[in-house]
Amino acid sequence: MTKGLTLTPTRRTVLAGMGAATAASFFPGYTNAQSSEPIRLGFQLHRTGIGAAYGRWYERTATAALARMNAAGGIGGRPVEILFEDDGTDPARGAEVFGKLATQSNCDLVFGALFSHVVIGTAPRAAELKVPYLVCSEGHHVASGMLNRWTLQPGITDVKSQVQAMAPFVTSNLGKKVTMIFPDFAFGHDHRDYFTAACTAQGGEVIAQIAIPPTETSFTRYFPQIPAETEVIYHVMVGPAVLTFVKELGEFYGSGARPQLFGFIDSLEAVDINSAGLEFLDGSHFWEAHPRYKQADASEAETAYRAAVGVDDNGASVGDAADVATYSHMFSVWETLSVIKAGMEAAGYTGAADRQKLVEAIEAMTGFEEGEDHPQGAKTFNGKTHQAFGIQNITKVEGGRLVVAHTASVEDGMYPDEVDYTSQNF
Amino acid sequence: MRGRATAAAAALALVPGAALAHASQRAVLLTLPTKGFVWAAAIVVALTALLSGVTRRGPAFEARSLFSRPRLCPDGLTSWLSAAVLLLLVYAGLYGTHDPYRNPLPLWIWTVLWVGLTALQAFFGNLWRDLDPWRGPVRACRALLGRTGGMGLARLGQWPAALGFLAFAWFEIVSLSPDDPAELALIVAFYWLAIFLLAVAEGEGWLRQGEFLTVFFANVARIAPFWADYEGRRVTVKAGLPGAQVAGLPPLSGSAIAFLMLMIASVSFDGLHETYLWVAAIGLNPLDYPGRSAVMVVNTAGLLAAWAIMAGLICGAVALAVRAERVTLAQILGPLALSFLPIAAGYHVAHYLTALLTQGQYAIAALSDPLARGDDLLGLGPHWVGFGFLTDHDAVWRIWILQFAIILGAHVVAVLLSHRIAANAGLRLTPWREMPLTLLMVLYTCFGLWLLATPAIG
Repeated sequence: MTKGLTLTPTRRTVLAGMGAATAASFFPGYTNAQSSEPIRLGFQLHRTGIGAAYGRWYERTATAALARMNAAGGIGGRPVEILFEDDGTDPARGAEVFGKLATQSNCDLVFGALFSHVVIGTAPRAAELKVPYLVCSEGHHVASGMLNRWTLQPGITDVKSQVQAMAPFVTSNLGKKVTMIFPDFAFGHDHRDYFTAACTAQGGEVIAQIAIPPTETSFTRYFPQIPAETEVIYHVMVGPAVLTFVKELGEFYGSGARPQLFGFIDSLEAVDINSAGLEFLDGSHFWEAHPRYKQADASEAETAYRAAVGVDDNGASVGDAADVATYSHMFSVWETLSVIKAGMEAAGYTGAADRQKLVEAIEAMTGFEEGEDHPQGAKTFNGKTHQAFGIQNITKVEGGRLVVAHTASVEDGMYPDEVDYTSQNF
Repeated sequence: MRGRATAAAAALALVPGAALAHASQRAVLLTLPTKGFVWAAAIVVALTALLSGVTRRGPAFEARSLFSRPRLCPDGLTSWLSAAVLLLLVYAGLYGTHDPYRNPLPLWIWTVLWVGLTALQAFFGNLWRDLDPWRGPVRACRALLGRTGGMGLARLGQWPAALGFLAFAWFEIVSLSPDDPAELALIVAFYWLAIFLLAVAEGEGWLRQGEFLTVFFANVARIAPFWADYEGRRVTVKAGLPGAQVAGLPPLSGSAIAFLMLMIASVSFDGLHETYLWVAAIGLNPLDYPGRSAVMVVNTAGLLAAWAIMAGLICGAVALAVRAERVTLAQILGPLALSFLPIAAGYHVAHYLTALLTQGQYAIAALSDPLARGDDLLGLGPHWVGFGFLTDHDAVWRIWILQFAIILGAHVVAVLLSHRIAANAGLRLTPWREMPLTLLMVLYTCFGLWLLATPAIG
């Protein structure tokens, strides 16, 4: 279960352990002594707090991407190092560590944040210090225009694009009468609003919207609200009650006929799809940015990426087959680092004085080819909105695996610009 | 800047975003029939109180000597070694990697010491007695200065320790960044120095009542089934039922009672403040938790309130239980409060069990890579840290069963101890009269298990 923790503690082993640690801890960690002028990248890491489960995999992905990058010569021939700072998944702390990374540690830029509230709390600090801030957040807040010129999201698509791109497949293949079940707060409301609009545009109809209070832990009493004519249930429940939700939904329908199910893998990110209670999901569909299970037609780049981050063909850690990765999100760290390298090399980046040039160089990018730098797939980049757009996958639960049933095109997720950051001053 | 960030976070409910609330161990736990366990535990504790009260027969809580041996090294040497390790850890905190799960300092303070050593103390007695980093240096310094006697700090009883513990609990549970290696290093260094100076002035013996870790670890060690008694140059290792050491202890002083209440209250609030119940009660959405910065004031109040409520409940229950006896609350609280020691220690171990299994892996990995440069001295292999068990049905079951056994065992021992202590004090409590105390024990059993099973953030 938990390897390495079969301690047989005695007074003697405690003392011996302390002695070993005395020797071992004598020279604490430095990784930056190899070169006189490495490029220093700050990483705002959700190491503790509610984002810790993601932070663990983000750190692992960043470390793997860094090793690959340095093995290939670094950036512009200079070695690269990443300085991780724990933001506690807290916006105030996020802004604080951004300042530490930018001013005390002299990082050239900061990247890596996932949780929206941390990004929104930190972005003003990036503008104030004039330090590029590359987020891996999935939130629509970058493309919506609420942030600033120093904040970019080139490594992952936003939730508005993801939701919108699902509508053509859902209405064409699963059914046109959709009932949505979502948690009753901003995240659920985004899904409700974006999908309802996209579904209607595709000729479908959202016939019921069932909002579940965020503190709810039992759902059976909500299921009678699902209209009998429902063809598809679109569910985006999150949090610790999600397994209970699936279990109770299964009990509600029993072994009889049920509507098609469509969900977002966010609900079950880092959770084994074969967990007890999830049997009901067999045959259902999920959005996945990056398919957790290695597909039969996986590219060489995908294979190389999996090996580098230490994830097996089932999406779990090579060191622990039950430890499922946050696979649909963590590629953003890898791909953002690729964009940083391309941007710095395009800008002829030499140091902090070139930070503005770096932002302009990224803004000038139009897209990224699928390959080892971008294993999740090809993307376009909108320099005006600072947002990447990419392919989205719809996978089906078949035989205990998530198998790609459809890949939505980049265009399926496009929407009109809501901001032009390039018109703003630095 | 912090105000602006907080304001931005507060406005988050109005903006689009991704919610990534994670389905973790609690997700699996919520699908298990934990409620049945809570009821079963309540019944067992109640029946234990009833049967023990009616029959007036409980375990003897006797100690047995296992063996005796000479002391292996000079008294104080291990304390010096501990101080040296602490110095290295502080150095690592200040100048090492900023990642709290790779820097040895936060891992040693929060995982090895606070979680791991506490668990060891609960089974193997007061290891801290040899490991405290003050005694050796304080003794040497006093000898150098030729200082004997004190400055009167002893008159304050355990109040300095209680205040130190309150500050520590606040730092752990409420403050913004308890894991930051550099900040932790400064705090550890400051605390060590402050205690060192006070102990030099007062005498090394003062540590046992004035320094919170020393008091805390001693309290936990008192329920250990194995322990060592020191007599001159010899050590006698003893064994007995958990609580065997407690039955023979002198009554707790007022400040010692306050300290014990704080032990129970702080670990309880540590569990409570992450529950959906608490988060919703303070007006927040647990699926969209804004982070510590938004809840510092209310959680500070919560921590203090937990202490006051815990003290009030225990004092109230004891007062009601002995209302017909010819003793005052002040006379009987000191002995009877001892029976809460198993609860304090047991809940601490159960509460931090998952942390031990997760962060403990990081602590081992950090030993394998002490310079945070990718070494693997212990041959663990790549990607050794694994949390798959947190979402594995069987593993979550096993963890729950272990937590259940610890909490239930702690409360059963507490009930039996309270009867033994009452009998020793000459009280003839009938099951009916002691009902308030029994009820409190039963309620706290349920509360402790509920805290471990209820939906929580993180």
